[in-house]
Amino acid sequence: MGEWFIKELKTLGEILVFLVPAIPMTIKITLMAFAFALALGLFVGLSRVSPNKIFSIPSRIYVDVIRGIPLLVQIFFIYFGLGKILNLNQFVAGVAAVSICYSAYLGEIVRSGIQAIHKGQFEAAFSLGMTPVQTMRHVILPQAFPIVLPSVSNEFIATLKDSSLVSMIGLRELTRAGREYYSQYFVTFETWFVVGLIYLGMTFVLSRLASWMERRFRVHGWGMG
Amino acid sequence: MIIQVKDVVKRFGDLRALDGVSCTIEAGEVVIVLGPSGSGKSTFMRCLNGLEKVDSGVVIVDGMRLDHSKSDLRRIRQTIGIVFQQFNLFPHLTAMENLTLAQKVVLGRKPDEAREIALELLKKVGLSEKQDVHPAHLSGGQQQRVAIARSLAMKPKIMLFDEPTSALDPEMIGEVLEVMRDLAREGMTMVVVTHEMGFAREVGDRILFMDQGRIVEEGRIEEVLKNPKEERTREFLSKVLKG
Repeated sequence: MGEWFIKELKTLGEILVFLVPAIPMTIKITLMAFAFALALGLFVGLSRVSPNKIFSIPSRIYVDVIRGIPLLVQIFFIYFGLGKILNLNQFVAGVAAVSICYSAYLGEIVRSGIQAIHKGQFEAAFSLGMTPVQTMRHVILPQAFPIVLPSVSNEFIATLKDSSLVSMIGLRELTRAGREYYSQYFVTFETWFVVGLIYLGMTFVLSRLASWMERRFRVHGWGMG
Repeated sequence: MIIQVKDVVKRFGDLRALDGVSCTIEAGEVVIVLGPSGSGKSTFMRCLNGLEKVDSGVVIVDGMRLDHSKSDLRRIRQTIGIVFQQFNLFPHLTAMENLTLAQKVVLGRKPDEAREIALELLKKVGLSEKQDVHPAHLSGGQQQRVAIARSLAMKPKIMLFDEPTSALDPEMIGEVLEVMRDLAREGMTMVVVTHEMGFAREVGDRILFMDQGRIVEEGRIEEVLKNPKEERTREFLSKVLKG
């Protein structure tokens, strides 16, 4: 029993050493994709609530289409479809696909956050002569931020997990490295156990960070009174 | 005259919230708008600063015709301040920041100048010691006084008050009316929707009585209160004066 245990630990250690170099790629994909998704999502969300149909209708269609297609299919479509025409490498195609997919979800979160703000806030800002852009920037978005924070951090964690899907187009991130290891050594259970554990570790850190931010904004907050 | 309203119609679906409203208001006048709920008082006020777009008719404020072009709307809103029943302070900003935000982004005042003006106004409404407090930590009456100061910081020529004390606990009404009384004394042009008849009688120059989207009676305050010509006015006054 003891011998088996030590051998097992050694295997797990070897797997970990093999996988660790792939972690930065997972982090890189996650951070870049989420940053783009946030920027795009903010634009999509603002367009959704725009009184101007030139913005609101296309953004609505965008959200419906993107949300209705599995991320894996979008990754394949962008890499194998568009990628061949536009000559995209795996990294660009992967990050683009994840960004686009998550921008639709984040767009909806931004929309709901803006719509949660009482219309009196818009009226007060307009009555002081502020333009719609100034109103959004100085009055509405700062109030929407703490409201959407929990949902946005959920999406961040989901982005990290879904970054594993880009392994399917051959980008060597954590999940891809796991596949490489087990196809070489055939230790299926242990490999995916360690891969899962690493993801869990990263998402754990993120969710702690998220609750810290939520607390911080509640403490420094203004009670919505 | 500083405000001229002619044949204004405003519909919400099938409802004619304003059904041909005409009136003029002179500079320095304090006009009290009375009427049962749903009579169009709020809509009337909101049409004066362009929060609602009129379906037909003309609104001219300080020589500018409100035509809902963006630049005109902004200029008119800098001419007219409005105070809402629900205060509508910005909850994420301190009292001071509530007063300085629009000064900086709309009027382009320097931060120091904006703070100086803000502090002076907070003093005027008796809240200079609350400058760093967020609205959630102020009482209703204090919030409404900050809201009045926020409007005044834009140096408006006209102030609209849309039931400014209706959301307040009774013991806080006085402090808000006091601030409004001071403003009237300084010669501010004011249009006030209120049921505070004591205040109306003391401060108001003229009454507009509205019912079903129309101004059914207008005149000097004492005259209308003593001898209302219209049956509807009489009925309404007998109710509010009793209460």
